[in-house]
Amino acid sequence: MQVTFSIQRYDSSKDKKPYRQEFKLDVEPTDRILDCLDRIKWDFEGSLTYRRSCSHGICGSDAININGKNMLACQVLIQDIKKKRIKIDPIPGMPIIKDLVVDTTDFFAKYEVVKPYLIAKNPPPKERFQSVADRALIDEAVNCILCGACTSSCPSMWGNPNYLGPAAMLKAYRFAFDSRDEAPAEHLEAIDTSDGVWRCHTIFNCVEACPKEINLTWHISQLKKKMVEREL
Amino acid sequence: MSYKHLGSRNSGAPGWLFQRITGIVLIVAMVGHYILMHYTPTSGHSFASTFERMQNPLWKVFYLSFVVVGIYHGLNGVWGVVRDFKMKRWLSMTILGAMIILGIAFAVFGFMNVLVF
Repeated sequence: MQVTFSIQRYDSSKDKKPYRQEFKLDVEPTDRILDCLDRIKWDFEGSLTYRRSCSHGICGSDAININGKNMLACQVLIQDIKKKRIKIDPIPGMPIIKDLVVDTTDFFAKYEVVKPYLIAKNPPPKERFQSVADRALIDEAVNCILCGACTSSCPSMWGNPNYLGPAAMLKAYRFAFDSRDEAPAEHLEAIDTSDGVWRCHTIFNCVEACPKEINLTWHISQLKKKMVEREL
Repeated sequence: MSYKHLGSRNSGAPGWLFQRITGIVLIVAMVGHYILMHYTPTSGHSFASTFERMQNPLWKVFYLSFVVVGIYHGLNGVWGVVRDFKMKRWLSMTILGAMIILGIAFAVFGFMNVLVF
């Protein structure tokens, strides 16, 4: 089958504004979008720029916007799209460097604000044990691959770029609710700001965008409940 | 990040919780008020029936609470919307100041209407 790819092109070093370029490809329904981008780059337009690394949904580098939805190019098949015209854009809300590559500096700066690491003040006797029930609390949260699809799809982030965003919130949850972490308050205080957890209005865009099917909104609501318990 | 200490005790948690509590109170109070004013012709919205009802201190307390809860919920909600946008601190503080003045004006107006009876 033949599919038309309409791809947004933009080079921040020379273009005044983005423009679109179309490519027609003969594809199999089981081809991945990433395979198609590779073919376009290798056979038609060598200057097309996008991120890819593992190509298997683990590294999170190839998050792009396909027909208006944030997805991982390596996880989506042609047959999933169900259209003969596929519109490809960089993920929204982040500055474009070139074509489908966005600047994630701000995304990772916000990520660091929540102290995304296990804070342990004392060395463990041998190893840090965790019960099955305690591990279950962070089962979903540990699956985040930091692709940025959630934060970039969040209208609260579009309206207020200072908002830390759902990915940072999820990471705060991942450590604040980890039974081995000895300073959950430090993670919580980092997000208890007007640009933190309270900017989430449960819009659920992040949940729809997450390629790992993490229910981010539920995790953020747990953080809010924890804050209220802590304050009262 | 920008301003953070506008909620009580430096956390956004009390404001978030009170917004939900006042929301629930308003649903009950507004439904009650609506039924009273529009679906109970015998005790409804004529001046005489309103005057008679407002002689009862419990109704006065109900409406004074209604005014306070409604103004808090409405203005806190608007303030939440304002904070959804990135803006300069002087602008957000100006909007906050205007909202506080507006809230006080609404409260005075509401109290006058309740206490005049």
